[in-house]
This record gives sequence, structure tokens and C-alpha cells, in this order.
Amino acid sequence: MSKAASQPRRLVGHGMIRVDADGKVRGQTRYLNDIRYRNVWHGVVVRSPVARGRFKALTLDPAFDWSRVVVATAEDIPGENVVHMHDRTMPLLGEVGGELLYRGEPVAVVAAKTLKLATEAAGHIRVEVEELPPLLTLQETVDIFKKTPKRFVSMQDKNIVKGDLAKGFAEADEILEAEYWAGHQEQLYIENQGIVVFPQKDGSILAEGSLQCPYFPVNELNDPLQLPPEKIRVRQTPVGGAFGGKEEYPTMLVGYAALPALKSGRPVKITYERHEDILFTPKRHPVWVRYKTGFKKDGTLTAIECDYILDGGAYLTISDVVMFRGILHCALAYRCDNVVIRGRVARTNSMPSGAFRGFGAPQAIWGIESHMDAIAARLGMTPHALRRKLHARAGDTTPTGQVLSKENGATECLNLALERSQFAQKLRQSSRGKLRKGQSKYYGAGLSFFAHGAAFTGDGEAKFQAKGRVELARLEDGRPGVNIRVSSTEMGQGVHTIFTQIAADAFSLDPARIRYPMADTGLVPDSGPTVASRTTMVVGNIVHRASLDLKAQMEAFASLHFFRGEKARLENSQFHAEGRKPLPFGRVAGKMLDELGEASGFFQFKLPADIRWDQDRFRGDSYPGYSWAAHIAEVEIDPITCELEVTRVTAVIDVGRIINPILAAGQVEGGLTQALGYAVMEKMATGKDGLYDASRLQTYIIPTALDTPAYDIQFVEYPYSFAPPGGKGLGELPMDGLAPAIANAVEAAIGKRLRTIPITPESIFDALHDPSGATP
Amino acid sequence: MRPTENINIRFPKNLQEALRLQAKAGTRGQLLAGGTDLMVQWVSGTPPPRRATSVWNLPELCEIEVRDKDILIGAGVTHAFLVDATPIHRHLPALVAAAGTVGAAQIQARGTLGGNVANASPAGDTAPALLVTDGTVLLASLGGIREVPLTQFWTGYRQIDARPDEIIQAFRLPKKGAARERFRKIGTRKAQAISKIMAASRIRVRKGQIVSAAIALGSIAATPVRLTQVEDFLAGKPLTAKLITDAEQLAQKTVQPIADIRSTAEYRRWVTGRLVRDALENL
Repeated sequence: MSKAASQPRRLVGHGMIRVDADGKVRGQTRYLNDIRYRNVWHGVVVRSPVARGRFKALTLDPAFDWSRVVVATAEDIPGENVVHMHDRTMPLLGEVGGELLYRGEPVAVVAAKTLKLATEAAGHIRVEVEELPPLLTLQETVDIFKKTPKRFVSMQDKNIVKGDLAKGFAEADEILEAEYWAGHQEQLYIENQGIVVFPQKDGSILAEGSLQCPYFPVNELNDPLQLPPEKIRVRQTPVGGAFGGKEEYPTMLVGYAALPALKSGRPVKITYERHEDILFTPKRHPVWVRYKTGFKKDGTLTAIECDYILDGGAYLTISDVVMFRGILHCALAYRCDNVVIRGRVARTNSMPSGAFRGFGAPQAIWGIESHMDAIAARLGMTPHALRRKLHARAGDTTPTGQVLSKENGATECLNLALERSQFAQKLRQSSRGKLRKGQSKYYGAGLSFFAHGAAFTGDGEAKFQAKGRVELARLEDGRPGVNIRVSSTEMGQGVHTIFTQIAADAFSLDPARIRYPMADTGLVPDSGPTVASRTTMVVGNIVHRASLDLKAQMEAFASLHFFRGEKARLENSQFHAEGRKPLPFGRVAGKMLDELGEASGFFQFKLPADIRWDQDRFRGDSYPGYSWAAHIAEVEIDPITCELEVTRVTAVIDVGRIINPILAAGQVEGGLTQALGYAVMEKMATGKDGLYDASRLQTYIIPTALDTPAYDIQFVEYPYSFAPPGGKGLGELPMDGLAPAIANAVEAAIGKRLRTIPITPESIFDALHDPSGATP
Repeated sequence: MRPTENINIRFPKNLQEALRLQAKAGTRGQLLAGGTDLMVQWVSGTPPPRRATSVWNLPELCEIEVRDKDILIGAGVTHAFLVDATPIHRHLPALVAAAGTVGAAQIQARGTLGGNVANASPAGDTAPALLVTDGTVLLASLGGIREVPLTQFWTGYRQIDARPDEIIQAFRLPKKGAARERFRKIGTRKAQAISKIMAASRIRVRKGQIVSAAIALGSIAATPVRLTQVEDFLAGKPLTAKLITDAEQLAQKTVQPIADIRSTAEYRRWVTGRLVRDALENL
């Protein structure tokens, strides 16, 4: 115990070692495929062979022995054939007579004792389809949008309107319009998707697997499986990375495995090999975004008009909300009185796009941050002078009419990043297409500045009312401790550690007495999905408040049972009372467990009462809090080969209170590296055959350690005071803004603006050899 | 599932025993060295063979002999070994550089020069550097040694001039002597990368005059190729700025690049010329 008993130890703000590090470093953590399940059958998904077609028939080869396998088709779905995510359009399995909308759309699930047999059986199923002409790419839909807008199929529309756009353009001295494109991105978690479903005697199911939102399957498969939420129990196994890829997709996988499991009465496990995982699980949405902006000679923005179209793939799934987050970030970080943003989700005959770190925001920020540099160039201003003038700060009003609070590090992020990187000087050294004295490579520096809205969009958190509990329990050593019971999942980001820190501080308890078991919907309240950079901010607050709740109960108990009514307080793992010898935590907790059987603290999250949100008009307080960041990228481009190297990245970030600076910096480095891949390497498109063209690790290229630049990461802390300890959301932000900083640096290096990512040697070559050579 | 799970792998003790096994196995005689190519192929579409013969660590295949004019490098020598074999560095710098760009440390420790050549990928990292040496492949069989020039060894996409009963024993590679060598790999990233294009060159200049030039490319056609038209154009000419520009343009004109997932034909064509220029400007 600490010597200075009067000074409670604080863990928040310190780089505590990860509580899950030991097992993971030693290779002792058991992931789904490490767990030896007995008598589990293996499931294989049978898929549509075409990108679009009428499903004529599904025939089983009569020569094959089907007695050893179970085949589940749409006919075996107990209820309605639908996965109800954000609409009710997507069937669980394609149905004979209906239309198949993407290559790989599941039409049957085969299960057998061995994976080999199941795979073999799947090969003896014939899927007869009358092929129809598909619409495969975002490019095709954007062409339709431009030429014949009435024929453009949007699965969801949403507009943001602020002020008077026509007036804004009328006031402008100049108008600049440009388009920006970005392609798919694969999450590439190390552990592939995997689920095992155990049918129970009472007709319910227990699903276990690698997922980040345990309550999603509980609430999204009720209709097809004809099971109420309490009959679908979901347990998390250790997750080997997710990045959004295990947000909505595992629901579908649970559905696929549940059908043969319910049909046969046997547990069924489905895990994907890498190739299948890349081909048939959701990617980041490709985007086309067009900005038309009006501005005055002094740099004042008078009008922003923006069209933002995502490629949603064949079904909506969750793309509406991705688009919402996207348009909310399209003009968030700058002062402008007249704004119109139109968001659309295009339908294509491809795998539905899905959640990926950033969730629409990186696509938006890619566009606006490239465009801000283009405006600066048009005005003859430096990129930083323009942003210093225009960036949003406390008291400013966002496009949806939200007034930004004082808990806002925007200005400090921008200034500190410029200063730490010596940006002004570096910009002057940039090559602009001509090697300067002493340069053997083109050099350029680029800036981006942006915000990320933390937690659910709009009144999402107000409606959701996330809940969590901490409970007194005997730990595995038989001595009392505390269990954290929330549905937030550890997927590498460190939540088990930082919640342990938060609870330890709230209790003033040794973190070794705190456990955070894997989420299990049978045991944990619904604190919401592990998404939207909401976990530290929202669920961290729940853990904090629930811990204070239980602590107060324990102090009252100690006062009554040990200190004769003298007021007790728990500090540094001991109960203290005036004039009394302190008692260890375990003594009081043990007696409490003996007498009461159980004790727990609970909290349900609420937003401030004055929050306003109009979902129809998309007006009001779009996020409870905002994180801010400025990035500076420095690049070198080889004039012989057009090879691009990002040499240094400066990132200054306000995500409110930092719970664990080492984990936070690690998360930023990881996210920036993921953003680096998005910007300069990760290239994937829907091919003519309806499949992703880069579907193996051999062809889908992500950065290695050797490709990462030198990182200078600095935090400034403007905590979210409404929800102590005051984090504002960090998970997604590092993915948001590096791509445009790199594109801006490339422009500084070669004097040409590239408007499509990834920026590859080939695209730099094309830009340098483009006969038009125009760069507004 | 391990890719080698159902393969019966034999481990001969020496080359003679391996050759006997190969002679008996005929066309089914799959050889396995480091496994860095085959193991990947066997889990991604190519059905694994029922049996294979390991040539990993066969003593006769692991030797390097530095001789007067040339160097004999055993087919079983790993890329990591080449990188560490300092006595050969000044004689074959392009090959050593190429070996250092293969995959990453783990693959370099396991992958062999013979395997890289036998795999016959147009993107084999060592191929261009081998080609510019004008060296030969020594193929062993029970009948003795057959020596084939490297320039004739890759006969088509993933095809080599070797009979089923033959094992690549070694490479005979002439030292560069007074020539200058250069190697560049343009990968999709800095490690674990298959190249978009590679170039190796061995050019000898005496008194401002190009005596001989060998330039080879990888990842640009069905096989690794020599730019013979450019080489012939350069030979015997004084090295001038105009010559470099002419050679760059000739290279761009005569090369016939492929387009694939890793790059475009236009980029490959352009960068071919740039790499020829780069080689000539750094003599």
C-alpha cells in the first residue's frame, strides 16, 4: 500500500500496463479458433455466383451422399426472411424466385462434422441463376447522378441546410468547384470473422465469437429466427482486431450459423479464411464528394455546397448512419453562414459496405481538407493562414446549428501543430514540381485540420440510455473484488485497461482487485455497441458513476458495521473513519458479500437536459462532444520512379481527458498508419466479375513497419466535463485526416493536386504527365 | 489446416539420393526447398502434391565458391546467407541487393536462390540481377551436369528449361570485374512486397566509352527479360547526355509491359526508361 495514505493514488492519466497484455504477449489468450469445441459442426456459406440475377433454383447433386450433412436454405428460416438492421430489405438468405443482388450473396449454409466434408458438399450444390445486368461501381452511379439524376437510386437521402446558399454565392468574389474520390478499404483485422452457435434445449441459441457489438445479434435476428431477445444470448471471445469490421457483420454470421444449428440441433461454427473474409465481408464505403464553395478575397467563406455520395452496396444495412456521420463532417470545422450538404447512399450490385473506423468521416474530411487547400491556392493564401482565419472555435455555430462549447482545443491543436512541425518554413522548402538546391527528391509538407463528433449522432445517446454495472464479487483467488459489467468489448483498443483505471480511481482501489470479464449478454447490461468513439466518453462515465454508486454503498455499510456510524471513506484500498484504525477493502467487502449476497453499483447514461436534435430536419446538437486535431504530413517523391514516401507526421489532438497516455498514443499511431495505407497504398475496387479485385494479402497492400513515418504525437486536453473522467472519443479520429494532409503535401511537392486516393506512383505519374496539367 | 498436412515429404541426405528419388518420381517429383513460394500456393488454389522431396539444406546445394572469373553459388543458399556473404559483395552487388529486398527477414532466412529461380515468377526478385551476369544454371541429374545460360532458362510464364529428373545444383555467375552494377526494385511497399517493376544493370565503361551493357527487368513480362535492343544500341558508344536520353526513349519504345493488379502498362513503360537513365547516370 502507498505510504501517503492521505493522498489517493490516481491511475487516470498514467500509462498503466494493459491488463490483457500478459496473456496476449505469451500467446495464452484463446481466440475462437484456439478453443477446442467438442462435437461442433462446421458451416460453409453457399453464395450467389453472379452480381445480379434471378434466383431460379437450388439443386442438390443426387449423386452426393447428403445424409452426413445438413443444408439450410431460405425455406428453413423459421420466421420472416429478413435481417432487420436499419431497414428491412436484406434477406438472411437469398430466396428462390427472388433477385440476388450481389456476387457472393448467401443462398444456403451447409454444415457437417468436418470443414472438409462441408466444403465438399457445398461444391455439390448448384445455384441456378438467370443473370441480369449489374450496376457495379460508384463511378457508374455517379455518372447516372450527373446525367440523369432521376434514374439515380438512393437508398437514403439526408440534407443539411444552414443560412441562404444563393445569398452566399452572390456575396462571393470567387467560386471553386471540385470533386474528390476514395475507394474501398478493408479493415484487415488479424483474426478473421468467426462465430459458433449452440442451439439450446429450450429452443434458444447461444452464440460465441469475435465481435464488437454483442447486443446486435440479440436485437436483429428476432424475426427470422422467431426468437425474442432473451432467447438469443451472445458471448464475446477475445477479439483479434475489428476496426468496425465486426460491428454489423457478425449479426449476419450468427444468422447463417444459427440456421443449420437450429435445423440439426448441433452446434455450428463458421470461420472464414482470409480470402473469403476479404471477398465477402463489408468494406469502407467508396465516396464521391463534390464541393462548390464561394469565398471573398480576404478568405471569408460565404457558401459551401456539397454533394456526398457513398457506395452502399446491394443493401442499406447501416449505411444511412455512415452517410449521416459523413455529411455532419463535410463542413464541420470551418466558419461559414450558408451551407447546403446533400448526402446519398447509392445502391450497387456489390457486397454491402459497412462500418470501418471513422464511419463516413474520413471520406468527408478527405474532400473538405483537400478543397480548403485548393481554395487557399486560388486566393494566394497559405493553407495555414486560411485555416487560422476560418477554423471553428468555441461559440461558433456548426452547419446543423449547434453552438460549440468551450471544451474545445481547436485553436491550440492548429497552432501547436504548426509550431512543432515548423510548417511555414517547411512549406517554403516544398519543391512544387522543381527540385530545389540539395534536393534529390521532391519534398512537400501538407496540413489538415478537422473535428470528430464523439458518440452516437444527434440524440442517439439520449434515446439509447446506455447502462452499466459494477458488482462486488469473489475473484478467482477467492478474495473480494469488483467486476465491471458492460457490453463494451476489448478489441485491441485497450478498454479493459482504461475502464480498470477509471473504476480504480472512482473506488480508490488497487486495480488488481478489479476484473473486466468478456461481455456476455446474459450477464451484462446493454451499454451499447463498441463503436462511434463513444466507449471512453459514454461508457467510461457509466463505469465511473456506477463505481461511485457502489463505493457509497460500501462506505455506508462500513460505517454501520465497522465504525459505529462514524462516516467512512474508501481510499487507497482501505476504509477510513475518524479516530479509527483503517480496515482493508477485502474485510468490508467480504462481510458485505456474506451478509447481502451481492452488491452492485449501476448507472444509466443521460445527456444534458438542454440537448436539442431534430432528426427529420437534421438540425440541432449533432454530437455531445467534439475531438479536434491538426495533422502535418511531410512527403518525398522520387523523380525517377514517382515513388512516394511519407517521412514525418505531426499530429496534435484534443480528445479531452487522456485516461492512459501510452495506450492513447499507441491508438493514434495505429490509426495514422491505417490512414497512411488508405492514402497511399490500399487499393481495391469491384471488378467486372462483381468481386473485389484485391482479395488476398498478396494484392491488398497495407503498410509495414518500414513504411511508417516518424510520428510526433501530442495531446492537448479539453475534457468533456459533463461526463467524468472527461474523454471525448479517440478511436476513430486518427483515421480521419491524414489522407488529405498527404494529398496536400503531394501538391506542395509536385505542384499537382490529386483528387483520388490512394495516391500511388502510377497516379503521380499520370498527374505529372497529364497534358491538361490544370490544378485549381 | 497446414498446407503440408497431407504431403508425404522425403528428406534425402545428399544430392545423389535426391537425384535418385527425382528420377523415380518422374513428373510427380515436386521439389521443396525453403517453401516460401510453394506453401503459399498450396493454400491459395494450387492443390498440394501427394509427395515431395526436400532439398532444404542438402550439403551439395549450400556452397559458395569464389573462383578466378566467376562465383559458384549453390541453389540451396538462402537470401539471408547471400546478404551476409561479404566475400561476394563486390563481385555481385546487384544480386546481393536483390536478395536483400526479398519479402522480409523471415522469408530471406528461408527462401533460397534456387527456389526463387525455379519458381519462375516474372516477379522473382533475384532474376534480373542474375540475368545481367550472363551466368548459367547447373542442372544435376543422374546423367551428370547440364549447363544452361540464364538468358535461356526461363522459357515462358512460370516455365523453366529443366527436366523432371533434374535438380538445380548451382549457378555459375561471372564476376562483374570493372563493370558497374545497379539494382532497383519498385515495390508496392517497403517490405513484404511483390514488385511493380525491377531493373538490374551491369555496364562497363572505359575511357568514356560503353564497352558492354546488360540491362534486365522483372515484373514487366511473362518472364524476366533483358533489354537487348537497348544493350546493342549502347555497346561501343561514348557515354553522353544525348546517348542517355536516346537509350531512355529506346527502352520506352521497345519494352512491352504487362498491366496487372500491381501496376499499369503506361507506368511500367515510362519507368523502364527512367531506370535505364538512372543506371547510365550512375556509372
